[in-house]
Amino acid sequence: MNLAFVDYAILALYFLFVLGIGWFARKRIKTSSDFLTSGHSIPTWITSLAFLAANLGAQEVIGMCASGAKYGIMTAHFYWIGAVPAMIFVGVFMMPFYYGSRARSVPEYLKLRFDEKTRGLNAITFAAMTVFSSGISMYALGRLFELVLGWSFTSSVILSALIVLAYTYLGGLTSAIYNEVLQFFLIVIGFAPLAIAATIKAGGWQGISSRLDANLTHSWRYAGDATQNPMGVEMFGLVAGLGFVLSFGYWCTDFLVVQRAMAANSMAAARRTPLIAAFPKMIMPFIVILPGIAALALTKVAGSGYALPMKGAGYDYDAALTTLMAQFYPAGLLGVGLTALMASFMSGMAGNVTAFNTVFTYDIYQSYIRKDAPDEHYLAVGRWTTVVGIALSIATAYVAQLYNNIMDLLQLVFGFVNAPLFATFLLGMFWKRATGHGAFWGLLAGSAAAWATHGLSVAEGKGAYFGGPLYSFPSTMAQNFWIAIFAWTVCMAVSVTVSLATAPKRDEELRGLVYGLTDMPHDPAPWYQRPGPLGIIVLVALLGLNLLFW
Amino acid sequence: MHDLRNPSGLFFVLLGLILTAMSFTGATAPLLEMNLNLYTGLFMLAFGGTLLWLAKRAS
Repeated sequence: MNLAFVDYAILALYFLFVLGIGWFARKRIKTSSDFLTSGHSIPTWITSLAFLAANLGAQEVIGMCASGAKYGIMTAHFYWIGAVPAMIFVGVFMMPFYYGSRARSVPEYLKLRFDEKTRGLNAITFAAMTVFSSGISMYALGRLFELVLGWSFTSSVILSALIVLAYTYLGGLTSAIYNEVLQFFLIVIGFAPLAIAATIKAGGWQGISSRLDANLTHSWRYAGDATQNPMGVEMFGLVAGLGFVLSFGYWCTDFLVVQRAMAANSMAAARRTPLIAAFPKMIMPFIVILPGIAALALTKVAGSGYALPMKGAGYDYDAALTTLMAQFYPAGLLGVGLTALMASFMSGMAGNVTAFNTVFTYDIYQSYIRKDAPDEHYLAVGRWTTVVGIALSIATAYVAQLYNNIMDLLQLVFGFVNAPLFATFLLGMFWKRATGHGAFWGLLAGSAAAWATHGLSVAEGKGAYFGGPLYSFPSTMAQNFWIAIFAWTVCMAVSVTVSLATAPKRDEELRGLVYGLTDMPHDPAPWYQRPGPLGIIVLVALLGLNLLFW
Repeated sequence: MHDLRNPSGLFFVLLGLILTAMSFTGATAPLLEMNLNLYTGLFMLAFGGTLLWLAKRAS
């Protein structure tokens, strides 16, 4: 792909703006709370878009396009059942506890609700996950720009790292959030023309449907039988694994996204954040997945001028997005598209780094290393942690070069950690009898169950390192869904059992932290802005989309 | 903090101007059958302008 001068100019303009936003954001940083939590001051429309953008990394943008080409419209399940229902749940039911507890982070909520060891376990695993995730994002960016543009791996990694470091060091979470909104706009506007142009070229949805097998253009019709659909998953695995455990485990407990809602300027705003974000989330499949489906349809049409590149005996699905851009984007728009790709990498990186430095500063440093220091000290620690976090991410990016399956490993780690965590939160927020011992041992048991499931089963040649295999899944996706189901179930069972055998906290200690001992907030806003009705509106729209693409 | 709609609006107005200008240079792509620079540029101008107008109204 050859870039013109105007394409580089657009990229430079973008860098100028993100640094400028960071520069202006620094003026409001007076305390560690300003730097690490935005002082709970951000308006709803900004927190909503940031909630979405923090998750919208380039691996998702490229990965979803690739999955669209491989699995068709079923890929939309990652949004329509794999995100939106959980976003409704966290806004309506969980945010009163997160925001109302005045916890500065998810691990801190666990400390308030349960005990220190549960907080420590979550803080350490989360901190490690965010650094790895940020590093993998840098690695993916470096590899992509090396392959597509011929830039050196080091140049791409260092350039993006320095830009993210600059604006997060200067303006902290506020700068990251504000830039995520800009990045969101850029990602949508940068890739929507591609979706439109490729779909029109493929003959619209009717033309696409006429050229592809039916199981690629229906989201539910073939989901009942793993042998009938391209994902190789059956209904229960899809709904329970993806739609419940993995989805809720991520959107309801991952501090990366929850932090954006907790930065809102009021309880009502925090609750509305994921609900408002759900609307654009529902539309995202048409931006990121549809181009991949169109790419596959164009490949099937002789003489269309486009074909997915080959990788061995199959298609190189990961190349779908960039090859489409090369075929449909002229100079100018090509620069916008590449800038949008860079923006998606950077929003993911910055999101992970800001979540890391909040958790490290408050939940690890302040809790275990130096308590009761003046606030200026923690502000300095927050800033230095940003530097260290970026440095560790760069190091991870280089380590990732040595392994060809590190992304698979990261996905597994998320499944091992997030799936049981959701069980812990469900019990913690809705069952006052749950104890710290139950939460801690439940989390460990759940992660162990995930590890055992992976080690005793096989899918596409992966897993089965504990012998056996006892079971062979038709796809790694099905395996991941079932790993999550087992992890959640074991965590729930162990947590309940241990809780019943150990003493709970007194009711006075749990006020504001658990259902039944918390006054649910009354929202004076008009009915259509209140969380409950808003959630119902989202659900109705979601149902409509699912029926439309049944 | 300054209203985010200002820098965002300005960014997209500038991008819109660049793409609209590029649309007159004949820049194209192998499979492109429409003037995508023009349509996207005009959209960005409208979007950026709307953000700036909303920010001005709020202030």
